[in-house]
Amino acid sequence: MQGVKNHDRPTAAGLRGPFGSVKRARPPIGASRPVAAKRRREGGTYRFLVFALPGMAVYVGLVLVPMVMAIGTSTTDRNGFRPATHFVGLRNYGDLFSDPAYLLTLRNTLILTAIVTIVPNVLGLAIAQLLDRRGWAFNAMRAVFFVPVVLSSVVVSVIWETIITDDGLLNRVLRGLGVAHPPGWLSDPGIALYSVASIMCWQMLGLCVVIYLAGLQGVPQELMEAAAIDGASPVARFRAVTWPMIAPAVTICTVLLMIGGFKAYDQVKVMTNGGPGIGTTTTLAFDVVVTGIDGAHIGYGAAKATLLLVLIAAVSFAALRLLRRREVEL
Amino acid sequence: MTTQTWTGPVRTLTALTVTAVFILPVYLVLANTFKPGTEIFAHPGTLPLHPTLDNIRNVTGRTDHLFWAGLLNSVQVTALSVVFSTMLSAMLAHYLVRTKTRGARFIAVLILAGLMIPSAVTLQPITEVLGQLHLMGTVLGLVLVNVAANLPFGALLFMGFIKNIPLDLEEAAALDGAGPLRTFWSIVFPLLRPAAASVLIFAAVSVWNDFITPLIVLGPANGSTVTVGMYRQISEHVSDFGAVFAFMVLSTIPILILFLFFQRYFVKGLLGGATKG
Repeated sequence: MQGVKNHDRPTAAGLRGPFGSVKRARPPIGASRPVAAKRRREGGTYRFLVFALPGMAVYVGLVLVPMVMAIGTSTTDRNGFRPATHFVGLRNYGDLFSDPAYLLTLRNTLILTAIVTIVPNVLGLAIAQLLDRRGWAFNAMRAVFFVPVVLSSVVVSVIWETIITDDGLLNRVLRGLGVAHPPGWLSDPGIALYSVASIMCWQMLGLCVVIYLAGLQGVPQELMEAAAIDGASPVARFRAVTWPMIAPAVTICTVLLMIGGFKAYDQVKVMTNGGPGIGTTTTLAFDVVVTGIDGAHIGYGAAKATLLLVLIAAVSFAALRLLRRREVEL
Repeated sequence: MTTQTWTGPVRTLTALTVTAVFILPVYLVLANTFKPGTEIFAHPGTLPLHPTLDNIRNVTGRTDHLFWAGLLNSVQVTALSVVFSTMLSAMLAHYLVRTKTRGARFIAVLILAGLMIPSAVTLQPITEVLGQLHLMGTVLGLVLVNVAANLPFGALLFMGFIKNIPLDLEEAAALDGAGPLRTFWSIVFPLLRPAAASVLIFAAVSVWNDFITPLIVLGPANGSTVTVGMYRQISEHVSDFGAVFAFMVLSTIPILILFLFFQRYFVKGLLGGATKG
């Protein structure tokens, strides 16, 4: 019984605890209080399990079970239009890596994710620095950057689509400036992916500005002043004071942006539907949904889904490890 | 450049320019919502020269009630999803923090892993699970999917808060004769209010703006949310920009109002949720 604390205090579980001793034999009368106290303090209480059950049931039923189903289905040749389903082992995965359409999708997603992770991060930090001042004008400007955070990706996509479509505002302005054949931002197969990525950057930029502004508020003003008195230049102050202090904000932004890039679906669905041409803007998530819902290649689609899951887990785990280490060194 | 000039008007001017360029697309939507169709085409960049509510009326007066039916669905789905995901994740987090068994720790890991699962991955099997339960195409089915999707983030935030609530408080309540249910709802939960506000606004924004889940789960037959409705609106009337803009403005106002009330908690949630993990 070593390590028992507060054994002289009667505890709640010793007195009541309706679920406190369901799974365990009742301890001898004389020992009941300390044992109960230990149990309350150090675990083994089933008192609140009933509370956790509804949430767990929903989560298991609609997240974990579907996830396991996807992984299971990925090892079959399941087809919605054919009754028989056979186990095919890892054949779907092998097929994926020799499928040029899938490789193009993978390439698109990696390009998109790289752009979406880097651009809003850098611009967001710069703009947050710029807006990190007191006064009503700066307050108002900060509020402006909140707006895209609340807009749905569908709204953002539609707004930009009306601007950059072939006869949209942007090209009319360009023609007005004398450009005879302005680019087809969403209709040129070589450009469309970058247009989609830029629009995602715009939307994510608001989020990054908000996160970095909150991070900058946490930088103690005394430190900055002390550094300034010691003669540190603005650049030196940023590197020595601000940058380490906002490490958690950098972690959050980077991970959110990366996951956002890998999950990209809405913008592609609304603006390009995977085109123009064949698969020029198809992303992994878009591809998973299209393959999964059309019903013909459910097994193959499940393999794509599983691979996307593994990819996101691996990349965000690696990013968290890498960025957290920087936070700890602080 | 010295710090002195950089803090002065140069900085303010730079900030103003950057902000104006950034928000230009939103300005275009707002300005063109109140213009007649011909003016949208002729002068897209100006303020409304002949302000009109015709575009708004075209959306609210649609004979198929695309907007109103979508709004009703959105409000129902968002309210139910938010209430249930907040309550269930708070109770779940409480169990996970207060129970220090290996089982509870394992459950915590499983739930936090859910933060990374994109909905595209589980969508196809989810339609099968919902089909088995006869919940495909129903609001209840959509709410359950949303609750499950928002549970990991809610649990993560609440766990950070519950760790800081002294256990003695709960023991005292129990000693005074309060059952577990009462202890939780009248002692613990009121202390979690800031976390609950963060969870609430996060879930509300993500559910209101969700596109793919309602698109697939509700399906075409059983109406849509405003977000899906807007997608349908553009696929039908690509040329009627006025109606598209008005639809955007109308469908964003409700969540924007809610957001303004909870803005502070949104930022706290963003930072707290991601740093306390």
